Amino acid sequence: MEDVKYGSAKRRRMINDTIVHVSLAILAFIWVFPIIWVVLTSFRAEKGSYVSTFLPQNYTIDNYVRLFTDTTILNFPKMFGNTLFIAICSCILSTFYVLATAYCLSRLRFKLRKPYMNMAMVLGLFPGFMSMVAVYFILKALGLSEGGLIRLALILCYSGGAGLGFQIAKGFFDTIPVAIDEAALIDGCTRWQIFWKISLPLSKPMVVYTVLTAFIGPWVDFIFAKVICRANADYYTVAIGLWRMLEKEYIDSWYTCFAAGAVLISIPIAILFMFLQRYYVDGMSGAVKG
Amino acid sequence: MKKKFLVLMTLLMSLCLIGGCGSQGQSASGNGETEDIRLMVWAPSEDQSKDSGEWLRKCCEAFAKEHPEYNIHFVYGVADEATAATTVAQDPESSADVFMYANDNLTVLKDAKAAAKFGGIYEQEVIDTNSETIVNSLRSDGYLYGVPFTTNTWYMFYDKSVFSEEDIKNLDTMLERGVVSFPFTNSWYLPAFYVGNGCTLFEDGTVEEAGVDFAGEKADDVTNYLIDLMANPNFVVDADGSGMAGLRDGSVNAIFTGSWDAASIKEILGDNMGVASLPCYTLNGEEKQMYAYAGSKAIGVNATSDNMVASIQLAIYLGSAEAQRLHYELRNVVPCNTELLNDESIAGDMLVTAQNDTFNNTSILQPFVSAMSNCWTPVENMGKGIRNKSVTHKNAKEQTQAMNDAMNSNGL
Repeated sequence: MEDVKYGSAKRRRMINDTIVHVSLAILAFIWVFPIIWVVLTSFRAEKGSYVSTFLPQNYTIDNYVRLFTDTTILNFPKMFGNTLFIAICSCILSTFYVLATAYCLSRLRFKLRKPYMNMAMVLGLFPGFMSMVAVYFILKALGLSEGGLIRLALILCYSGGAGLGFQIAKGFFDTIPVAIDEAALIDGCTRWQIFWKISLPLSKPMVVYTVLTAFIGPWVDFIFAKVICRANADYYTVAIGLWRMLEKEYIDSWYTCFAAGAVLISIPIAILFMFLQRYYVDGMSGAVKG
Repeated sequence: MKKKFLVLMTLLMSLCLIGGCGSQGQSASGNGETEDIRLMVWAPSEDQSKDSGEWLRKCCEAFAKEHPEYNIHFVYGVADEATAATTVAQDPESSADVFMYANDNLTVLKDAKAAAKFGGIYEQEVIDTNSETIVNSLRSDGYLYGVPFTTNTWYMFYDKSVFSEEDIKNLDTMLERGVVSFPFTNSWYLPAFYVGNGCTLFEDGTVEEAGVDFAGEKADDVTNYLIDLMANPNFVVDADGSGMAGLRDGSVNAIFTGSWDAASIKEILGDNMGVASLPCYTLNGEEKQMYAYAGSKAIGVNATSDNMVASIQLAIYLGSAEAQRLHYELRNVVPCNTELLNDESIAGDMLVTAQNDTFNNTSILQPFVSAMSNCWTPVENMGKGIRNKSVTHKNAKEQTQAMNDAMNSNGL
């Protein structure tokens, strides 16, 4: 009995590994499958929203070309630009808000600290779009619901509430020893200098995470953009544009362009991620040694 | 530190105040002969695109020329007929003065008190230039709420090389000759069979208390017919664009849809494209006519508009024969003006004939009473049930009764 066990240990591990890898491969395939399909569809030469074959019969890049040239009905380049501008601005603003709030709550002690955290927790339980109608009327009262100010309105919408989402960043700051801060204080640093020159460089993974989420939020948002843009087509974001491509009147001729648009909007996020990815890894290495 | 903060806050707040006032500044000062007005107009993006001739801008400019008493500053926005009403209802005050909407959204507009009523000479003009059915599609409680500019319904597109003029009169004959695709699981289309056999919705579509009558033997017969239809190998369900794809690869010879797909179908079938109003179907040996839901698209005026007279005049102009003709020439929007329909150049168009034949002969006015909103899901479920074979000849009677019950209840 025992002999058999010893003899098969290697083999058993191999069998185990095979099973694990095969199931992982299947899962990975299932997961990547829809994305591959969208990419394939974006290169499909046959028109229409429905095709009887799974793989496209002919390939073309016309769908991409059309997105950028056929701009009289759905102006994709403009929407892309709008979204990029809004997303970058709100990304910068909300990253700052989140990190600053988290830092304060982690390092400073003040009377409202606990109540603020409780309030943020409770408010965080509500979906953001619950306040949508109120937000719309407030923006309208401020005169931000018409013309170019719509962009400002959207930036405010996306970044204004960011300070409530401090929890993860605060958790991270809590792990950086307070001793470092104290040492810096003794050396004459101000709170701001500690935050900017010591804590932030030590928290690169957190900063990266915050930047990514802060960028993706406005980049993919549909509901606020739809409510605030209304009939101002010049300020539409890509989410609205893509949604419009699937309406009854457009779906047949725009479906493949829709897939192309879907592929394109993933590019900025991918670039941002690839650029920031390395900081995920080396954020803490060798820095905190007290 | 504190002082700085205070100064900053005050500055911010005063900025906000100025911003708030700024948006309300209106230049509506009259100076004797010409009046400066600002009119916001919403239309679908095709009406404004250069590729399709900028119908909206051309019409608005022509209107301004006809009315020298106004000095109009036009502001254009994009809202298609299907969604404009909801967007206007969301906040009428900062919405367009003149917009285009589909008549099934009239209740939404009315509930938000956002649609202006047309009366007097304006109402008379609409009545004089349109058929009674289409005017009624924009009436509610006796008031008229817009100027119709086209009808909105579905009909049949077919391949002339497969079906003859004689074949297309009956669905069952067509199924012997070729493959027919029908949006079986879409509740805008499926009721056509039930209505064809005498089922009614809110009597003539306006009496909410009367409820829906999709029950009894007449409805059971239709359900049984549909089960057989589904089993026919030449019948294909059209869902998610599969009918159009079938036309493209030649596996389908006829589909049911509306003018929005006409251009694509023309591209596929070319000269073989045939368009016709709905066929009959043979139920227990008797021929029954299918009836589509029909509605209209109209130009509405915002009830909160600051320049009511000018807005109404513009709406009337955008719905006039002249504007409709331009709309037809630029974008193939089927006109509904009675005078234009008698015009030979327009009456000769297959699409116009089919759409108007359908509207006049083989359709019922799509009810826009509030209770209509309960009628969509049960019919859709019936279609899906038949497709999935969970509705069979055995339980057809109970299932039909269940559909009728669900249509008559608000789900509470």
